[in-house]
Amino acid sequence: MNKIFKLAVTDFKLIFRDPSLYSFIFLPILLYGLMIWFLPGLVDRYDVLVPYLPLFLVLGVIENTQMFCFINSMVLIEEKETGVSILYGITPITENQFLLSRFIFPYLITVLFNVGLIALQPFYEIGLSTNIMISALAAMVVPVYVLGINSVVDNRMQGMIYIKAFNMIVLLPFAAFFVPENVVHLFGLLPTHWIFQSIVNVTEGTSYAFFAIITVFYFGGLMIWLSRLFVKKHFI
Amino acid sequence: MILVNNLKFQYPKNESLTLKGISFEIKQGELFGFLGPSGAGKSTAQKVLYKTLSNYSGEVKIDGKDLNDWDLAYFEKIGVGFELPNHYQKLTGLENLDLFGSFYPIGKQRDRTDLFEMVGLQDAISKPVETYSKGMKMRLNFIRAIQHDPDILFFDEPTAGLDPVNAQMIRNHISDLQERGKTIFITTHSMHTADELCDRVAFIVEGELRITDSPETLKSQYGKEAVRVELKDGQSQEFSISDLGNNPEFIGFLKKGAVSRIHTMEATLDEVFINVTGKTLT
Repeated sequence: MNKIFKLAVTDFKLIFRDPSLYSFIFLPILLYGLMIWFLPGLVDRYDVLVPYLPLFLVLGVIENTQMFCFINSMVLIEEKETGVSILYGITPITENQFLLSRFIFPYLITVLFNVGLIALQPFYEIGLSTNIMISALAAMVVPVYVLGINSVVDNRMQGMIYIKAFNMIVLLPFAAFFVPENVVHLFGLLPTHWIFQSIVNVTEGTSYAFFAIITVFYFGGLMIWLSRLFVKKHFI
Repeated sequence: MILVNNLKFQYPKNESLTLKGISFEIKQGELFGFLGPSGAGKSTAQKVLYKTLSNYSGEVKIDGKDLNDWDLAYFEKIGVGFELPNHYQKLTGLENLDLFGSFYPIGKQRDRTDLFEMVGLQDAISKPVETYSKGMKMRLNFIRAIQHDPDILFFDEPTAGLDPVNAQMIRNHISDLQERGKTIFITTHSMHTADELCDRVAFIVEGELRITDSPETLKSQYGKEAVRVELKDGQSQEFSISDLGNNPEFIGFLKKGAVSRIHTMEATLDEVFINVTGKTLT
């Protein structure tokens, strides 16, 4: 436990000593401002936006995850680039301890930010248990995204390119809300589609359990697969 | 302590083997060196031994136990000093050591302040590593490798990037570690380092071991057992070293004029390497 905690604390030291990373900590504050103060005023003024409120909530929740997606990706890329990552392959720490230490706090903090965002947004009344469930599902994007990026890149330059591509993949299932009903779930090839559909169902007051189960299995499977790829690449 | 038998390794993207069936043994408390040019397979062999590279063929045993059968306890037993500095740049030197030290049992850890003083980094202990010179980072590499008092040490080019004074300091510390009973495996292309430190050296070229022996034996085997005397007037002559003190020719030559230099004619390790492998160490 001490090993996990020590490594997690080190990540935060690295983040707060790098201005290009800690500035991203303010992203959730910006999102809170947009969702709680800016958007209500906008909707009051332009009625045409009302049907799109679920999408704004989806956007807010998924963008909240992007803070640690970016920060953690860059921390691990730099670790690889500077050769520090190889040290973890020759120290008495298991691969699972390593992965847990790098993702447990980013995951929990992302959940917390999303719980706050969903609780404070003025458009829908969402119960705490549903709120926590949706937030927990959405936060699964963080480890999958970071493991995915770090399984393919070797340096910061490549990292920036892949981060752009991954951002598109994360957001692409938005298009599902603008296509005919019978082809909506074609976007299900992209894992975030199932999170988006879960959130929309919650806003409509319908059951989201089916989409949530798909999300858990899809992200769980990706996490296991990407963890293996990551471990093979990162420690060498 | 370390037994390697017919070790072969091929990188996935390479067409040929990087290690072509090498065999060697390192005894407990021995300081063993791999000497060879860049790309010979020195670091690859070490990476197999500290378990960074798997998918090798052949037999590797540590303390009589197959390398694959060792669990995390193996990493408490070994220390690795890398060829290039690898530290978190935004952390201080002490924070870097603290972090990696925290993975080992507390009882085995050496005092970190003492370690910094040992390599002359006491003034930089609280400074971010990004402000260190390359030589300072290499010294930090060295103390990180030994901070948990491991039994087996791997050093990859331990004096690379160091000025002569600091290189000598690191060589002295490596000798001290051996005196404390540590088993040490170094790779280097510095003949000076190998000659000064190693009990035995192995020449490795293109993934093959060409010869393994003590530096003294190799130098004497490939050189002449003779001395060369040079006089200030430019005359010079070689004499066999056997019974030199009773050689009238030698004594007569010394009396012929002022002596400028007397050299032994043993080969340098560089010469032995070239002689054995047909390659240079660059």
